[in-house]
Amino acid sequence: MSRLLLVGVFEKEDDILSVTRAAKDQGLSIVDVYAPYAVHGLERALGLKASKISVVCLLAGIAGAVLKLWFEVWASTFDWPVDVGGKPWNSLPAFVPMTFEVMVLFAGVATVTALFIATGLRPGRKPKAVVPGVTDDRFALVIEETDAAFDLPAVHRLLEEHNAVLIEERVEETEAP
Amino acid sequence: MNQELHFTPSPRTRLLLRLLAGVGVLSLLAGAALAPERAWGSLFMASYALVCLGLSGTFFIALTYACGASWAVALRRIPEAMSAVMPFGAVGVAAVLLFRPSLYPWTHEAAAHELSGFKAAWLNWPFFLARAAVYFAVWLLFTRLIVRTSRAQDRDGDPAHTFRNTKLSVAFLPLFAVTFSMASVDWIMSLEPEWYSTIFGVYTFSGLFSSGLAVIILLAIWMRRTGPLRDFVTEEHLHDLGKLLFAFATFWMYIWFSQYMLIWYANMTEETVHFIARQRSFWLPLLVLNVILNWGIPFLALLPKFTKRTPSTLAKVAAVVIAGRWLDLYMMVQPTVTAGAITFPWIELGVMAGAGALVVVVFLRAFRQAPETPVRDPYLTESLHYHN
Repeated sequence: MSRLLLVGVFEKEDDILSVTRAAKDQGLSIVDVYAPYAVHGLERALGLKASKISVVCLLAGIAGAVLKLWFEVWASTFDWPVDVGGKPWNSLPAFVPMTFEVMVLFAGVATVTALFIATGLRPGRKPKAVVPGVTDDRFALVIEETDAAFDLPAVHRLLEEHNAVLIEERVEETEAP
Repeated sequence: MNQELHFTPSPRTRLLLRLLAGVGVLSLLAGAALAPERAWGSLFMASYALVCLGLSGTFFIALTYACGASWAVALRRIPEAMSAVMPFGAVGVAAVLLFRPSLYPWTHEAAAHELSGFKAAWLNWPFFLARAAVYFAVWLLFTRLIVRTSRAQDRDGDPAHTFRNTKLSVAFLPLFAVTFSMASVDWIMSLEPEWYSTIFGVYTFSGLFSSGLAVIILLAIWMRRTGPLRDFVTEEHLHDLGKLLFAFATFWMYIWFSQYMLIWYANMTEETVHFIARQRSFWLPLLVLNVILNWGIPFLALLPKFTKRTPSTLAKVAAVVIAGRWLDLYMMVQPTVTAGAITFPWIELGVMAGAGALVVVVFLRAFRQAPETPVRDPYLTESLHYHN
C-alpha cells in the first residue's frame, strides 16, 4: 500500500505554529512536524500527550534506591559486618549517600535508554530528513491523505495562507518505517 | 489599572488579619508575664523569620536580575513588596540583641563555656552588636536601591535602570552570602556557644529561600485570584515557581542531611551536642516531622507536572513548607531557650501568627505603592508571553 503525503515547508516559527493549529482544527491527519529546534507550544498545537519517559525515570530511580539500600543492609549487617567507628552494623545515615548515587545512576541511564528505544535511535540508523532545511532554518508540516473526503486544493490553500514557501506531494510506501 | 492599585482585601480577610494580629500581641504579652524567657525567644524567632522573608524577596529579585531571568518580571512586584517586611524584623532582632542579651549564654556565663581563643574574642557583646548593625545596613541599603531603581523605571522606561539593577544585584549576591552566613552564626549558632557546624550558613540560607519561595507562591496566587495580577501571572509563572520550590526544598534536605551525617559520623562531643538535644524524648518526632514538612511532602507533591500548574494544590504545598519553616526555626532556637524542656508551643505559635498578619499588612501597603507589575520593564512582554 502507499499513501499520499503533503509536505508544506515554512520559514517562520509563528507560521508553523499557526498552520499546525489550523490543520488540527480542520481535522486533518498530521503525520509529523519537523523543526530545527524545540518550538515552544508546538506539542500543545499538535495535541501530543505527555511523554511517559518520566514514569520510566521514577520507577528506575525507586528500583535503584531499593536495590542499593537492600544491598548495603545485607552486606554490612548480615554478610560481612565491619566495625566502623563503633557504629551499629545497620547505620542508615551512612547508607544514604550511596543510595542516592545509585538511584541517580539507575534513573539517568534508564531514562536515556528508554529515550533511545522509544525514538528508535540506534547505531547505524539512516537519518531521514523530510526536506534538508529542517535541520537548519526551515519548518515542515507533513499531512496525510486519509480518505476520499480529503480536499487536496483546500489543503494547498491552507498551507499557502500560512506562508508556505514550498508545497510538495509525495507518495510513500507505508511499509517503510 | 488605577482601580486595581487601590486593592483592599475582603472584609473576611481583614477580620482574620485583625484576629491573627490580636493573637500575636496577646501571646507576646501573656508570655512576657508567664514565661519571659520563652516570650523573648519567640520574639526572636518571629523577627528572624521576618528578616529572612524580606531578604528572600531581595535575593529573589537580585537572582533574576543577575541571571537575566525575564520570566519573573511580571511578578517582580511581589518579592519587592515582601522585602518591605525586613525593617520590622530588624527592629525585633535589635530589641532582642539589645535588651535580652541573656538569651545568649556566652554573654553572662562565659566562664562556664570553655570557648577557644578566637571564639571568645569573636563573641563579645559590643562587637556582636556592631556586626549586626553592619548586616542590617548592607541588606536595607541594597533592598532600597534595587526596589527604588525598579520603580524609577515605571516612570521613564529607561533600560539603563535594568543595567543598574543588574550591577547592584551582582554586587549584592556575594555580600548577602557572607553577611547572612555570619548573621546566622552570630544569632543562632551562638545560642549554643560550644557548637560548631561549618555548613550552618548554607543551612539557614536554604530554609530562607525555600520558605521565601513558598510565600511568593501564596501571595502570587492570592493576587492572581483577587485581581491585581489576574492578567499578569500565568500558569507558566506558577509552574516555574513550583519548580524552584521543589528544587530548594530538596536543596534544604541535602544541606540538612550533609550537616547531620557529618556530625553523626565524626561523633565529636562539641558537634553532637546540638543533635543530642534535639533527639531526646519529644524532640525526636519533631526532628522527623521537620524533614517531612520541609522536604518529604513538597518533594512528593511537586514531582508531577500538574500539581505545579494547579494553583490550589500549589498553594497547599506552599502552606506546608511555611509550617515546616516555623518548625525548623523552633527546632533551631527553642531547645536552647528552655534548656531542652518541651512544652506546648502556644507562645511561639501565637507570636508567629501575629508576625504572619504583619507580613500580609506590610506586603499590601508596599504592593499598593507602585503599579502591580513593572509596566515599563523592557522584559515585561517576554515575561507575559513566557512558555515553559
